[in-house]
Amino acid sequence: MSSSSALVLCMDVGFSMSNSEPGQEPPFEQAKKVIQKFVQRQVFAENKDEVGLVLFGTDGTKNRLAKDGQYENITVHRHLMMPDFELLEEIESELQPGGQQADWLDALVVCMDLLQQETMGKKFERLNIVLLTDLNVQTSADQLDVIINSLKKAGITLQFFLPFPLDGEDRADGGGDGPGPSAASARPGKGLSSQQTQGLEMVKNIMTSLEEEDGLEEVHTFRDALEKLSIFKRIDRRPMAWPCQLTIGSSLTIRIVGYKAVTEEKVKKSWTIVDAQSHQRDDVKRETVYCLNDDDETEVQKDDTIQGFRYGSDIVPFSKVDEDQMKYKSDGKCFSVLGFTKQELIRRHQFMGSQVVKVFAARDDEHAAVALSALIRALDSLKMAAIVRYAYDRRSNPQVGAAFPCIKEKYECLLYVQLPFMEDLRQFTFPMLENNKKFTPSESQLSAADALIDSMMLVEKDEDGESVDVFKVNHIPNPQFQRLFQCLHHRGVNPDDPLPPVEPWLKRALERPQAVSARCQAPLQDVKTKFPLKVVVKKKEQKTSADVFGSSADEPDAKRVKVDEEMEFNLAEIAAGNITSVGSVNPVRDFCALVRQKTVSFDQACQQLTHRIEQLLGNRSPEYYMKSIACIQAFRDQSVSSGNAELFNSYMQSLKRSVPDRNLQEFWDLLIQDALTLISKDEVDGSTISKQDANQFLAFEQKEEVQAAPVQEDTGDVDDLLDMM
Amino acid sequence: MAEWRQYYQNEDDEVEEDEEDSGGDYKISGRDSLVFLVDASKEMFIKSEDGETSNFDMTMQCVRSVYTSKIISSDKDLVALVFYGTEQSKNPRNSFKHVYVYHDLDSPGSQRVLDIDKLLGEKGAQFAEKTIGSGETSLGEALWCCSNLYSDIKLRLSHKRLMIFTCRDDPHGGDGAKDRQARTKAADLKETGVVIDLMHLTKPGGFDVSLFFCDIVSPPEDESELGLQIEPCRKLEDLQKRVRAKELKKRSQSRLTFSLGEGVNLAVGVYVLARTATKPSAVKLHRDTNEPVRTKTRYFHAHNGGILLPNDMKRAQVYGKKQIVMEKDEVDEIKKFDDPGLVLMGFKPMDRLKLHHHIRPALFIYPEEEQISGSSCVFTALLLKCSEKNVFALCRYIPRRNTPPRFVALVPQREELDQSQTQATPPGFNVIFLPFADDIRTLDAHVGPTASDEQVDKMKEIVHKLRFKYKSDSFENPVLQQHYRNLEALALNMLEPEPIEDLTTESGGGAAEKKPKAEISEEELKNHVANSTLGKLTVPVLKDACKQFGIRTTGTKKQELIDALTMQLSK
Repeated sequence: MSSSSALVLCMDVGFSMSNSEPGQEPPFEQAKKVIQKFVQRQVFAENKDEVGLVLFGTDGTKNRLAKDGQYENITVHRHLMMPDFELLEEIESELQPGGQQADWLDALVVCMDLLQQETMGKKFERLNIVLLTDLNVQTSADQLDVIINSLKKAGITLQFFLPFPLDGEDRADGGGDGPGPSAASARPGKGLSSQQTQGLEMVKNIMTSLEEEDGLEEVHTFRDALEKLSIFKRIDRRPMAWPCQLTIGSSLTIRIVGYKAVTEEKVKKSWTIVDAQSHQRDDVKRETVYCLNDDDETEVQKDDTIQGFRYGSDIVPFSKVDEDQMKYKSDGKCFSVLGFTKQELIRRHQFMGSQVVKVFAARDDEHAAVALSALIRALDSLKMAAIVRYAYDRRSNPQVGAAFPCIKEKYECLLYVQLPFMEDLRQFTFPMLENNKKFTPSESQLSAADALIDSMMLVEKDEDGESVDVFKVNHIPNPQFQRLFQCLHHRGVNPDDPLPPVEPWLKRALERPQAVSARCQAPLQDVKTKFPLKVVVKKKEQKTSADVFGSSADEPDAKRVKVDEEMEFNLAEIAAGNITSVGSVNPVRDFCALVRQKTVSFDQACQQLTHRIEQLLGNRSPEYYMKSIACIQAFRDQSVSSGNAELFNSYMQSLKRSVPDRNLQEFWDLLIQDALTLISKDEVDGSTISKQDANQFLAFEQKEEVQAAPVQEDTGDVDDLLDMM
Repeated sequence: MAEWRQYYQNEDDEVEEDEEDSGGDYKISGRDSLVFLVDASKEMFIKSEDGETSNFDMTMQCVRSVYTSKIISSDKDLVALVFYGTEQSKNPRNSFKHVYVYHDLDSPGSQRVLDIDKLLGEKGAQFAEKTIGSGETSLGEALWCCSNLYSDIKLRLSHKRLMIFTCRDDPHGGDGAKDRQARTKAADLKETGVVIDLMHLTKPGGFDVSLFFCDIVSPPEDESELGLQIEPCRKLEDLQKRVRAKELKKRSQSRLTFSLGEGVNLAVGVYVLARTATKPSAVKLHRDTNEPVRTKTRYFHAHNGGILLPNDMKRAQVYGKKQIVMEKDEVDEIKKFDDPGLVLMGFKPMDRLKLHHHIRPALFIYPEEEQISGSSCVFTALLLKCSEKNVFALCRYIPRRNTPPRFVALVPQREELDQSQTQATPPGFNVIFLPFADDIRTLDAHVGPTASDEQVDKMKEIVHKLRFKYKSDSFENPVLQQHYRNLEALALNMLEPEPIEDLTTESGGGAAEKKPKAEISEEELKNHVANSTLGKLTVPVLKDACKQFGIRTTGTKKQELIDALTMQLSK
């Protein structure tokens, strides 16, 4: 079951590693970076791999084999264990160049010993030793055969990382899709010492005898490695088999196995909320309460609530028990063919769902393999696909989807994609574009577009006339993950630093390829001159909140409140008697009355008002926004007239901070439209806010994302099982 | 509030966390409204000689299907049903004669569907005669009454539409004063933003729109719009299609800049044409009163119990035994790469778009002339050239602020019309999401023996037998349908929900295999129709018969099945 590996990083820290030509980074520093990047990747990949670290050329000696002057200057720095931030920090601070030299073959033996001792009783799929050295030391080759044999016997694989390439050709170019310039500075062959030349021969010898010709693939340069390692490991999930039966009618049944082949991978971890001071997760408690929609927000116990659903304007009480009993019952797992249809009738843009499943015949079932192969080939030659009912299991909702034939050189399978239900489709009609006098492009405009397309083709012909795709999206790592891990790592190592900028290689990977950019310059200019494009200046079509919601009878109109203030409040006082607190029915009136009557302090009146505002906003419903806006308007007006800006400004600032978390963006937009900003110095002397700051206050906005996807009860699919394990 | 959010979930349902819409330009814009203004004159009830259902019956079936689909898809929209040319009068202040407001502007519920059911079929015609009757016609009064319906609404309405269903092209029989009044009232309505459509029905001798109605209806949105349907609707299907096309207001999910390169920007609207419809989420009700309750979520300190405000909290993740802490803002910043928009990378031949590179349902883009003028022209040029050269455009897509980029393929789609000149596919680019390296999994392919040519030929026969014409809208979601049937049963106090027909099962249809399984011949059915004895057959037999003729019924009530069959067979 375990698919983890054990790996020993074995780094040469001997004095020759610190030598370098002027202006070049010493091999020691390069090797250190390789190790750092590697460990970093391991930490974030969070697999069960164990890593050990052995240094050679150290001043001291610390290993099991050291005896009688043998295996000296070799230090086991870290035994096999899962890599963590501690290791990263140790590498950062404790990994220093040593003043000695040690035989790398001896170090290799120490590593083998370490692997064998510490993996005893545990199961690893792969044992690996990674050697980083400049080979600049005298080695005794007499033990070489013994070493090779015991490596083979123990099933240990080797990787070498050297400052220079193995042979004349620079292998860095072979990386293919690795972004960035190729390493040209590592000079091959020339300038190597006799020890190094001899060492190289031995490396070749070991590698070819271990893995035959492929062995040399595992010898890398530092520079090459750094480039590849700066890309964080892609999120790799082990495909989960989904055994089922493909049925055609009642007569034909084929045993199949499905695997998710393509699906949008999400970050495995989500953010937890911690206390800002203590950084403790347990210090934050979350509580959800139910309350009635009345003035007092009367709380209701969870047990006193039942479930209901909307049916148009009605709300139908519908308990969970009833729902479960009455809901659609599926017969469970299935992959049954409903019929066959022409592939062209299935539109690519109507693919639904978030995955593609590859369907193979069950392993070692010859009948199934032949039957499925016949189906795949029949469909392929007829250009048809199967329309299938797919249900992952008893709990999940059935889907209708298409199974397309897929014939590759090495294997055959069906590709299953979900298709829409009638309810999923929206039939919108759009005005026609062609044959529309206003928009019809002229001949010269069309040829400009034509030239632009030609100049921007991302598929080029190489020397052999083969077309090569120069921008393969499916080879680009998801930038979201790369950036996240970069920031996490940075913050983990430097807790007080601001976040680093996006790494240049990542930025470059998201841009148009340089060659294409250069090529399309002229055609693009032509398009620019031939097509007049003008940003339409909006005639201040901003709506005020009153426009948005209309002014209905039972909600005060912000503008009117201001004008009619005098009269309305006098009337109100007569009608309502003395007002003693800000109620929820007409908070604006109450608040203004309180301020005028001075029965309570201004501070208290404001406090009561803000309490009501918070309550209204708590509904997060546009129907209440109008009322809140009126409250804020009144708050502001009264603050200005009483010359007290501080309370209003600080409330607004805290309100603004809470916008993203409370999802009040819409509300904030209304404030912008009504220009309800901070009170500036120009208005109230005591204000600490300049006119400009006040103007800019609203302009900044931060969009909040929906906190969590609505939980769907039946997204049950291959990965869920995996998550449950 | 749940209510509000649910509405928008239906509108743009955010199934995925980052698929929430950004636009904001309509989020706060109010509700849609639709008034059916239906002619109730004697002419509407006449069955045409060839025995088809009456225009009135057809209209009611159409209204019913709009009601039920609104309940499911957009239950906050307001709908009204008003008859004109009636004998009886019923309107809010009873100030209008011969206008009967059957349903005031409100969101449709179960009761309304039942009310419509009363007007369906032969019995329905009798019921209509009894309750509303046919009388004098004044379209002007009727339009005035409708405008009152709109003004009585306290809610903000975003989209106002009025559809007139009639088979009379000269409703006032040459009464110039009435004609004038109707024109004035129509103009008043149009001024307040109401769009008036004519759903004209067949009339012996042909319906002449130019006689009167051309002055009543709203002009097409622009000259390119498909314009007046010159042909009147004959069939329910056509009518429903026409109504549906008008009734759904299309809304963009967002408006974005599409940059071709430095300085060359056009504006596009992003539309969702297909998105998985899900069961609406449940509402919590108070046990005693069935009153909706809402939830409040609070964070507080575990030790001192104090309420925690957003800035009292930070975000954290643990890696390699170490907790890494960030501010909420930083968590957002990490996701920011660039401003929202589409940026052109280049073009690729269509065959580079792999069938299996699918991770999300597609979107659709269409130019936005109101944002950047000239957009439509560039867009059209690109559309024509891309489709001519058989290439797609590869773009970097950032849908909204603080969202990481995705690469998408813009696949050209030219406009297609169906036989009745209605748009079958709109012109624009389909936006196909492409997977990153992380999204593609490494599999160990199973390799086994392959089939011989003979075996393949055998299989071809099977495939041939089971072939059918796939249409994307031919499968209903049985889970959703069952859910709504259950609700309907509870809402209407029915003993048990009506059974659904599960089209996704092999016995449910879809496949051609079932087609020959007719238990009753066409001849027999025709006899039943001629003698009006279809009622003697059982529901399953009727259902099978409907299936046999490819009739899609709006419900499964016996009467509906009979009506549908009658309509089909008496052609």
